[in-house]
Amino acid sequence: MRARLKLLAALALAAASLAVQGGAAASEPQDWSRAALARALDAPLGLPPVLHPADNPPTRAKIELGRKLFFDRRLSINRTMSCAMCHIPEQGFANRELETAVGVEGRSVRRNAPTILNVAHLDSLFVDGRDSALETQYLAPLTAANEMANPSAGYVVALLARLPDYEAPFRRAFGAGPSLDRIGMAFAAYQRSVIAGDSRFDRWYYGGEAAALSAPERRGFALFAGVAGCTACHRIGESFALFTDQAFHDTGYGWWREQLRQNPPPQQLVQVAPGVSYALPWRTVASVGEERPADLGRYEVTLDPADRWKFRTPGLRNVALTPPYMHDGGLPDLMAVLRFYNDGGRPHPGQDPAIRPLGLGQRDLEALAAFLAALTSPEVPRLVEEARSAEPDNW
Amino acid sequence: MSNHRKHLSFLCAMLFFAQAPAALADETCQSPYMPKITGQEEFVYVWTLGAEGVGDGSDKLVTVDVRPGSETYGKVVAALSVGGRNEAHHGGFSADRRYFWAGGLDSNKIFIFDVHSNAAEPTLHKTIDSFVKDSGGAVGPHTFYGLPGRMMISALSNDKDHGGRTALVEYSDEGAYIATHWMPTAEEPRGALLESPVVDGYGYDVRALIRKNVMLTSSFTGWSNYMMDFGKMLQDEEAMKRFGQTVVQWDLHTRQPKKVMHVPGAPLEIRFAWGPKNNYAFTSAALTSQLWLIYEDDKGEWQAEAVADIGDPAKIPLPVDISISADDQSLWVNTFLDGTTRLFDISDPRAPKQVYQKQIAKQVNMVSQSWDGKRLYFTSSLLANWDKKGADNDQFLKGYTWNGKELVEDFAIDFTKEGLGRAHIMRFGSSKLYSG
Repeated sequence: MRARLKLLAALALAAASLAVQGGAAASEPQDWSRAALARALDAPLGLPPVLHPADNPPTRAKIELGRKLFFDRRLSINRTMSCAMCHIPEQGFANRELETAVGVEGRSVRRNAPTILNVAHLDSLFVDGRDSALETQYLAPLTAANEMANPSAGYVVALLARLPDYEAPFRRAFGAGPSLDRIGMAFAAYQRSVIAGDSRFDRWYYGGEAAALSAPERRGFALFAGVAGCTACHRIGESFALFTDQAFHDTGYGWWREQLRQNPPPQQLVQVAPGVSYALPWRTVASVGEERPADLGRYEVTLDPADRWKFRTPGLRNVALTPPYMHDGGLPDLMAVLRFYNDGGRPHPGQDPAIRPLGLGQRDLEALAAFLAALTSPEVPRLVEEARSAEPDNW
Repeated sequence: MSNHRKHLSFLCAMLFFAQAPAALADETCQSPYMPKITGQEEFVYVWTLGAEGVGDGSDKLVTVDVRPGSETYGKVVAALSVGGRNEAHHGGFSADRRYFWAGGLDSNKIFIFDVHSNAAEPTLHKTIDSFVKDSGGAVGPHTFYGLPGRMMISALSNDKDHGGRTALVEYSDEGAYIATHWMPTAEEPRGALLESPVVDGYGYDVRALIRKNVMLTSSFTGWSNYMMDFGKMLQDEEAMKRFGQTVVQWDLHTRQPKKVMHVPGAPLEIRFAWGPKNNYAFTSAALTSQLWLIYEDDKGEWQAEAVADIGDPAKIPLPVDISISADDQSLWVNTFLDGTTRLFDISDPRAPKQVYQKQIAKQVNMVSQSWDGKRLYFTSSLLANWDKKGADNDQFLKGYTWNGKELVEDFAIDFTKEGLGRAHIMRFGSSKLYSG
């Protein structure tokens, strides 16, 4: 009820804002943002409406400004990193080429860059849930020393105030210049427009198109919702599906990766060319590498020992677009993920009891993978096109 | 320098080149358009990466006196900080050799140093900080190859995804942007013949054989890989899939890509032979530890062929810089991970044989030799986050004499103790170039 009120208020404000834009500056908005705003205010098949905060209703001007900020490489200490250098549109708004992200000056980030597709529907942000609003989330990567490394949040505000190409966009969006709040609202408005539903699964499950899924995909769904028990965490509702329970779980994966970190294998297999790999002694790898830090997941936010190695259940929409998988990108493809769960995770005290050996065969796993691939939205190419509606800002 | 005088200087250089190609450069791996140093090099310029906690932490151009008998022989006589850590890497002289262009692979800044006003103490003449914007998205200015009146720059990455797809970018000698030539890809071959199962669009080195109108480019990896921690990358299966597998033949004059050849394993430095009938170049594949010959066949077609292993490829010694002798008879090859330099007899370019090796330090990257092959200089740093860690992180410039049988150390400068940073590319300087 409360959420619905919040949404209605947001819609009313958005409509008012649209009216203002239409009167005063009809020629100024860019064409792509019309569809983006409509998407932010609507709900594609399979997804619920986006809940916009009452004090940040979406407008075309905010969405355009948010996109510009998202792709601006000047917003890092040495002008090399934008948000989009890790959340790459053509790679599912994630990064398929790295297991874990790389920040300013090549500094190591512990985690795989998550997609921003449908991030509007997450209750908590980052895999450890350390933030809860897109309006504030941006501050962490902008100021983290190993990400964009700006010396302070105020520095970013001052920088944007100095850049002449931001004066008009901020005026159009807010009637005022840059501030921490306004930057956050613009980032949030853009990301809440990056919505991708209406997958073949949605057309089959919610739209009643019997032929939208193939037989193997339907079999995969039956396993997913049945014997494999995936929907216990990757939930599917009556009218929409986020494929996440928004909760944190110890699946055994984080614990297992920590054991590997502390007890590395004597040799590391290194691919030097397609089809050619050599085993390099671990001491050689260690001689050219910094020590990999531990990752305790949700515990790092709550300091509750019960939260060690717990990570937020990811939504699975468009999952086929965003390998490698898991919070540190340690599994290269969907089959590897399915095998991990089929094996029952990596049993240890604290592992979620829902994770258990499944006893599925290869054909079952292939059917599950086929089902997961059917969660890809046909809207993604359009989102990529919108994202690339202008060249990235560079010095 | 007036334009008129500069043109005269260039014409003189071209005339010399046309008559005696083997006498137009001192160190052997430079653009042949460049005037030569007569006799002994006086200074070695070292483009040096700043390191946190070392000196001022900033990238700098370090000048070392290598004049025999000088009171400051083997010593640092100048160090010019440029501010920040830009991932200082490679650099090259303008074709008139009056300016040294050096790039930052991370910040994309290009620093143009005046080396002619006072060869012992270069000054910063100009900084270009608009490379990415100028070029339309190329990232990581790497090789600076002096062409008449302009600088050809090979980039390593792009501003869309920090992957390996990239371009060649041209600037005028004055520092004005001229053109961008994107590397051919499978999707956009740009008219090139594709003779590789992979057409990656990656870049690294650029070199030309002028009399054949051939330009070659090699292929490394994008920003995400070259900037990341080396140990982390070796464990990242996805990252290890993103290394160059191609050498591209271009029409030097039209900048048209002609052919994409398959050279897997990240082919890096390209070194053309100097002999007037030697229509070939060598390159080393860093990951697969192989020497490749890129050559013109009997039909006038350019081909690529692996001709030798470098060390034991299964140990991934990681060959990095190579330096060909002026008589095309030998090739120095450095292998980073074992800190070793190796001399190959390349008198038969199809069957190189290693004839000597010496460990220089715990790590070694660049090698430069004098035109007569008697003096060799080595530096240590590969990339800021690829260098060895802790006690293995030797950072130096070392000078050696090659007596035909062994390398004899003449001097060594510890770049960490001197508060300088990570020593990378070397170029030779001499006041005599500008005294006439």
